Amino acid sequence: MTASPVPARDEILARLTGYLTPEPPRFRGEAEPLPTVPMTVTGAPSGDATLAAMFGSRLEDVQGTYEIVDRPGDAAEQVAQRIRLWCPPLFDDQPGAPTQVLAWAPDEIGVPNLENRLRESNIELLVPGDLHEAQVRHKAAGLSVGITGVDAAFASTGSVVLASGKGKSRSASLLPLHHLMIVPASRIYPTFEDWLRTLRQAGELENFLRHNAQVAFVTGPSKSADIELNLTLGVHGPKVVHAIVVDDGTPTGS
Amino acid sequence: MLDVHAPFESRVTQALADDHLRTALDRATTRLAERRDLAVAAVDNPALRHEVRAIRQFAITHLPDMLQQLETNLIANGCQVHWARNAAEANDIVRDIARRHGVRRVVKSKSMLTEEIGLNEALETDGIEVVETDLGEYIIQLAHEPPSHILAPVIHKRAEDISDLFQRELGMPPTTDPGVMCATARQELRRKFLQADMGISGGNFAIAETGTICIITNEGNGRMVTSMPRVHVAVVGIEKVVPRVEDAFLLWQATTRNATGQAVSVYFAMCSGPRRPDHADGPQEMHVVLLDNGRSRIIDRGYPDVLLCIRCGACVDVCPVYREIGGHAYGATAYSGPIGAVLTPLLADDPTSVCELPFASSLCGACGEVCPAEIDLPRILLDLRSDMVNAGTSSVLERVAFTSYATGMQKPWRYRALVVVARWATKLLPRNGSGGLTKLLPPLNAWMRTRVFPRFARRSFRRLWRKRSSGRGIEPSR
Repeated sequence: MTASPVPARDEILARLTGYLTPEPPRFRGEAEPLPTVPMTVTGAPSGDATLAAMFGSRLEDVQGTYEIVDRPGDAAEQVAQRIRLWCPPLFDDQPGAPTQVLAWAPDEIGVPNLENRLRESNIELLVPGDLHEAQVRHKAAGLSVGITGVDAAFASTGSVVLASGKGKSRSASLLPLHHLMIVPASRIYPTFEDWLRTLRQAGELENFLRHNAQVAFVTGPSKSADIELNLTLGVHGPKVVHAIVVDDGTPTGS
Repeated sequence: MLDVHAPFESRVTQALADDHLRTALDRATTRLAERRDLAVAAVDNPALRHEVRAIRQFAITHLPDMLQQLETNLIANGCQVHWARNAAEANDIVRDIARRHGVRRVVKSKSMLTEEIGLNEALETDGIEVVETDLGEYIIQLAHEPPSHILAPVIHKRAEDISDLFQRELGMPPTTDPGVMCATARQELRRKFLQADMGISGGNFAIAETGTICIITNEGNGRMVTSMPRVHVAVVGIEKVVPRVEDAFLLWQATTRNATGQAVSVYFAMCSGPRRPDHADGPQEMHVVLLDNGRSRIIDRGYPDVLLCIRCGACVDVCPVYREIGGHAYGATAYSGPIGAVLTPLLADDPTSVCELPFASSLCGACGEVCPAEIDLPRILLDLRSDMVNAGTSSVLERVAFTSYATGMQKPWRYRALVVVARWATKLLPRNGSGGLTKLLPPLNAWMRTRVFPRFARRSFRRLWRKRSSGRGIEPSR
């Protein structure tokens, strides 16, 4: 490193201060003052559709799929069927080794009776411990289905929020080719800006970001248009993203 | 590919002679521009532009405060913060982190800034394998080429070219099916992700109030790079800071609508520090390198507007010059199109070393009209041209020509005399079928290589005007 008596930090800050004060920088054009609350960019579609239906239809616009389950008690059945659709058993009469799926901890997925119902279909949840351990990593990397819950979802764009945390691995929504997400209808907000306002007013926004090492917004399957602008899915993340929206009978934001 | 180190004129000539390139450029930029038009028409774009401008201008005006707040919060989140004055310092910082962790393999998500500082080459000198994981960046890395567009780096390549490359480098069976090519890359890069010791990303926005680095991707490589390896290093330009969380969300949506016409990108990864002890994955260490590399000097040079750019590429796609010559004609630089034509000289130690770039514009104004941060690019291009001329980059001939022109235009009688002389003089020169001149005398001949000088009208406008207005009480001009 080039030896310099002044640390880079101090020199950069001093330089900037010198250039920006006392005269403010001269921009070619006017700017309004910083908006108190930035505008809602992508509004929720209007009409009578429920937030769940709007969310689903936006998700379909970006090559995702969805279904709505009216009773939370039915969700486990839908999860089992979906996994079997993606990974059919090779032999009907001989179950063999269970099908493993990479998952968040069952509590974080929030589907009642999930593990029992899956066991009936010979499906096992793999909730990874430490993915930096070679064994866990090797196991997780080979699985083709990932199941997660969501922290919030948005009707305006079909997006979901996945915060990393205890029992909430990033890998479950990232490594497998199929991502199954359980979306409680009560967590669907009309827009990003509604969610931001709710968290801000509750004084939780800052902590939500700072306490979860990574907060990822995910909108449909992984895609690229790098080859002559042809749309291709599943470049690095999942190729198939399916949402099971569970009507849990509670209004948004509670 | 054309030689990016050749002189500017030669690069342009090479680009214009390449029909494949121009077909590829025309298709891609037209579609990107159409998608953008639809996406911004669907929202209140004038209001969105005002707010992007307001947020960016606030951040730049308060940079020292913003950066210190960012640093404090990054550290509180468990990040290690480094500051770098220039490319060499930044590269040394990253090399040092790699050395301390015994890093052999690095995966990178797309970052124009690391392209700007040549980070890959620096790491490779230490024997480290560096793999670009954005599909487009991966393709050009395999082909040993620089990117030709800030967000669609292989815009200049046809599917056939990419197929040939994958067959040669990855042993892919012959096909031009993008799905198969994509799957081939997925398989190859998945191994790299899982085995990498270190992930390097850029950062689209850095949120001061929470100490959060935000990364926009569609492929998911941004999440991979920041989640799978043990160490994550984000190299972020000091101008990327925004005050609040809400600001990042506005800029994110403005970026994607203007870049690809999407309401939002598939992934938006907000990284606030290394994984916590009870997390299953995520990096054990997160480093943030805050890099100046000529950015603060841009304010001193009188062009703070350029720092408002959010790198969406909208100006590139609508630029009639870019659409003809492509990104490589702008030279061995990370940035092309109108933003490249202003950013490259302004970042350079000596702006006159790339003095031709601000002239690579027809000043049609399209870039200024689309810019989501309302950067007056045409004005800046003109101001830079003026700087270049004042710095003495123009040729003697050009200066003589413009001085004579100015002298001639200062008095009506001088102008009239010149026109009379010119009309008679041009009568002596060879003409084409429609009477246009095909040759002038040297040195004016150079101008005629690609143009035909029109024939002078038999009667000048001034004479016609005088005739029309005589006896009608209109005062003829003197």
